[in-house]
Amino acid sequence: MASLFGIDEKKLLRKRRAAETRFRLCAIAALVLAGAFLVFFLFDITMKGYPAFQQAELLVSVNYTTEAHDNPYAAMDPDTVQIVSRSFTRLIPSMMAENSRLIGTTKEMWVLASADTDQYLKGNANRLKPRHQALVDTMRQEGKARLAFNWGFFEAGDSKLPELAGIRAAAIGSLYVLLITLAISFPVGVMCAVYLEEFAPDNRLTQIIEVNINNLAAIPSILYGLLGLAIFINFMGVPRSSALVGGLTLSLMTLPAIIISTRAAIRSIPPSIREAALALGATPLQVVWHHVLPLSLPGVLTGTIIGLARAMGETAPLLIVGMMAYIPEAPENFNSAATVLPAQIFTWASDSQRAFSERTAAGIMVLLVLLLGMNATAIWLRNKYERKW
Amino acid sequence: MKSIKKVALAAALVLSLAGVAEARDQIRIVGSSTVYPFSSAVAEEFGATNKQFKSPVVESTGSGGGHKLFYAGVGPDTPDITNSSRRMKVEELETNAKNGVTDITEAKIGFDGIVIAQNIGNGDMNLTLKDLALAVLEEVPVDGKLAPNPYKTWKQLNPSLPDRKIVIYGPPATSGTRDAFIEMVVEKFTGKDETFKAVLGKDAAQYKKIRQDGPYVPAGENDNLIVQKLTKDTEAVGIFGYSFLAENKDRIKGCTVEGNPPTFDNISSAKYPISRALYFYVKDAHIGKIPGLKEYVDLFMSEKMIGDAGYLKTIGLIPLPAAEREKVRKDVTGFKKLTAEDLK
Amino acid sequence: MTMGSALQMALMAILPLSVLAYMAARRRAGADNARGTEFHSPLVYYGWYSCLWVALPSMGLFVLAGLLHLLRIATVPGPVLAGGAVALAAFGLVWSQRAIGRDFRAIHSVEGAVRWALIGASCISILITIGIVVSVVFEAMQFFRLVNLWDFLTGTKWSPETAFLISTGRADGNVATPEFGSLPLFAGTFYITAVAMLVAVPMGLFAAVYMAEYASQRVRRIAKPALEILAGIPTVVYGFFAAITVSPLIVHLAESMGLEAEYTNALAPGLVMGVMIIPLVSSLSDDVINAVPQAMREGSYALGATTSETIRKVVLPAALPGVVSAVLLAVSRAVGETMIVVMAAGLMPNLTWNPLKSMTTVTVSIVDSLTGDQAFDSPQTLSAFGLGLVLLVLTLVLNVVSLVVIRKFREQYE
Repeated sequence: MASLFGIDEKKLLRKRRAAETRFRLCAIAALVLAGAFLVFFLFDITMKGYPAFQQAELLVSVNYTTEAHDNPYAAMDPDTVQIVSRSFTRLIPSMMAENSRLIGTTKEMWVLASADTDQYLKGNANRLKPRHQALVDTMRQEGKARLAFNWGFFEAGDSKLPELAGIRAAAIGSLYVLLITLAISFPVGVMCAVYLEEFAPDNRLTQIIEVNINNLAAIPSILYGLLGLAIFINFMGVPRSSALVGGLTLSLMTLPAIIISTRAAIRSIPPSIREAALALGATPLQVVWHHVLPLSLPGVLTGTIIGLARAMGETAPLLIVGMMAYIPEAPENFNSAATVLPAQIFTWASDSQRAFSERTAAGIMVLLVLLLGMNATAIWLRNKYERKW
Repeated sequence: MKSIKKVALAAALVLSLAGVAEARDQIRIVGSSTVYPFSSAVAEEFGATNKQFKSPVVESTGSGGGHKLFYAGVGPDTPDITNSSRRMKVEELETNAKNGVTDITEAKIGFDGIVIAQNIGNGDMNLTLKDLALAVLEEVPVDGKLAPNPYKTWKQLNPSLPDRKIVIYGPPATSGTRDAFIEMVVEKFTGKDETFKAVLGKDAAQYKKIRQDGPYVPAGENDNLIVQKLTKDTEAVGIFGYSFLAENKDRIKGCTVEGNPPTFDNISSAKYPISRALYFYVKDAHIGKIPGLKEYVDLFMSEKMIGDAGYLKTIGLIPLPAAEREKVRKDVTGFKKLTAEDLK
Repeated sequence: MTMGSALQMALMAILPLSVLAYMAARRRAGADNARGTEFHSPLVYYGWYSCLWVALPSMGLFVLAGLLHLLRIATVPGPVLAGGAVALAAFGLVWSQRAIGRDFRAIHSVEGAVRWALIGASCISILITIGIVVSVVFEAMQFFRLVNLWDFLTGTKWSPETAFLISTGRADGNVATPEFGSLPLFAGTFYITAVAMLVAVPMGLFAAVYMAEYASQRVRRIAKPALEILAGIPTVVYGFFAAITVSPLIVHLAESMGLEAEYTNALAPGLVMGVMIIPLVSSLSDDVINAVPQAMREGSYALGATTSETIRKVVLPAALPGVVSAVLLAVSRAVGETMIVVMAAGLMPNLTWNPLKSMTTVTVSIVDSLTGDQAFDSPQTLSAFGLGLVLLVLTLVLNVVSLVVIRKFREQYE
């Protein structure tokens, strides 16, 4: 019997198998493409950013003459001054003021090169005049110019001089902001989740709260920035660009994420545990405090870490509350002006000096490492402590 | 006992949060995005060379936003200095006085030139204010009536210009650079041009709508992107601050305007027509209360910052002529009070 | 003294006081207990009871004062407020010590208070919503007093520059009135969103299907975290990547094909945003695909269907509401995305179908008008709040529709 109803079964079967293969390939292609994007992206950022981890230094002789005390440019020969970073030259007078024994001496030392010298040594476009380029070349041949590991990038704050700019102030600012975010959104989020899962009666208010939390999770982050501007800065008088206002704004943004993940974690605790505790005479709150919360803690922490990582990478609302500013020093308390890593990246990305673009990419690398670290911790926590009941 | 420790820990945390709520030991500066690079450069210099003071915080809020924050009142919650790419308006001075900010010192720091630049490989372009205005206006007079701007190439505007499509990357509507461009190019032209006067009468100078049919492309506050575009796009010209031209001389070059190339000397002598003065305003009541404020102003006005060989010149500021600089320095470092008379 | 600093000052006194209250009450109960008096509740609860008496009334005072100030009824001066709060706290300390006794059921009082605190915490989410609505609506209303709502929603020309001139005081006479037609902004937003969806929906869906139906445990263990990495990359980083790498790439590609592309084309932010949203679509779709009952698949296999036929004809139709809800959420995410478009999209409102042209979006205009160079009360600055309001309503509607759809789905299968 060749075919039933005049259909060539073999052909049909081949066709169906081909369709199956095509579909499967499509599905694999989607995953592979996403993976390829990720690889390309990481590769691209790394290629752009890694040069910033090296910084040009020059071995120059500095004459601490009395003339240099008034005009630091006189401390080196006129051509050398042009290729040395201003961050060194401008400090010569104060160094001499602090240490009077320096006056009249000449010292040979490694100093930071200017951003253009740095770019020239790395083979990038720069604004050095041919005369200075030649000088850098001779210095390199004599071993007086080198690329050293850029510790300054991790020790300095923002600067208008690309060769001096670093991420320390922004990293500390991020830490302050995250502390506030954690201090507010974690307790409030967990309390809200506990109420909704363990105590809330099924009434209108509960339903409103539930729908509302879902909505909050979907509201664009920039609107939280408008909220921060109107409520925290204009109404409550929190100082502009302070770590406090940034942290408050981000904590509101993180809250829904923490509530949702905490609820999921609490829901996964089987009722038998609660019933056992209640049977032994525990009050409802003791059940939660002694049993439900400790057992769901890994899940809660995972959600919190992911939420915080989110907050740490967020920029748009901070733009509105004034954290996009020149803030070179790390904050000392929660009221002082602070900038955060993503804001620093954005500021550098829009700077006109070309030497900043590799700093931008390097800043991104640091931020990504931190965020991936946080996410990896969360995933590890989840895998290690996740229990199937 | 464990929970007591926890409570104590929480208390310590909140105490550190409370910190210094009232006093501020850090100068706060707001205002124009054009002055921002200069202001933050001085702020950095100040922080690096004066170890006893903290680095000032400089926020770019735009001139208008800066004035608004500035005139909110006196006290640590308000900024000490606002930068401005235009002069303070009389109404703003009045609002200041109404809110208790009675003593303000005005500091003119130098000039900012707006350049019309193109790819370095192109032939020279010698533009006039008329060419520029007609290239960007939405409507121009044709046969005694306003009609949509018909010009698509530079040659149509002026036979001596190259036969290239008009593509202008310029600042967006929210930018102070755009405001300055309109003021110094478009209004200057429409106010004097006979054909405009014939159509609009005395309102001619008020006509300044920028075209939206393609040739004028608002390209964002990030002038660096405009520079990048010009290195790729040889058709286009870009409008931005002089510092970006100085920074990228290897890739782009400026067009002459009314026969004057956008050079340093031409801008500071006001021969180059598209340049404007830059200012900052100091709240005198904060002097002595905010540590370092006076020293910051002194440093800013010093020869090594705004002078002919000063640091700010290397990042694009065009210094005032020496005599005016001397006078302004004396006024500012003596904290001369700004009056409504001065602004007229 | 602002309210914030009054709060900080008061906290500096209240916190030590509450620690003191806790210790005093506990010690008192503990001493009695040692003398052989049997207390009703575990001793710590007496400490907490006293502690609550110190903290709650004084904090309540601040909430009350804040409300009064917000509603413009009265403003309590900072020092009075701080002093009042500390006095209340001290009173609470003394008052609560009185109640401590053998028969006092501290545990019930404390649990009651904690329960109220939990309710309060839950209501904070509502307060946030109200806060957002209030902060957007008031300014937006000012804006709509200047600009007709209908013109705003349907106008095709966004040229606020003359608004700018009016605010700087140099425009008088018959200057062309500013035009605030937001249509080009929304067109740009939806165009870029559509590009993003063209990337995110097929890729996210296929990725989800593969993970749920085909992938071995090992592949899933690698692929899932990889997708989560994509979701964890900050938007400012995506923006930098779109502006610096993808956009020039597109321009080069277009050139080699003889097309003209602008550097701020709509394609670059759209594509990158699409990649950013893949994990959202795939994880939500993964959930709903897994929620489709296994019996349905087995029924299909039993009839001889191949895996792909089962997926296309049985699983996906069954999961459709869930997928639709995921897509709606993705759309709302894309519409509200800010940093990518701020860094990579243009600023010119442009009504065009050409993806290689520059376009701007609602979020870009919001950022631009709030950080630009003009006065705060100019119509252009206020327009940010008008746009914000429309954006808020839009995302809320998308989210509510998505919730309703997914609820239908869950009712069907769970």
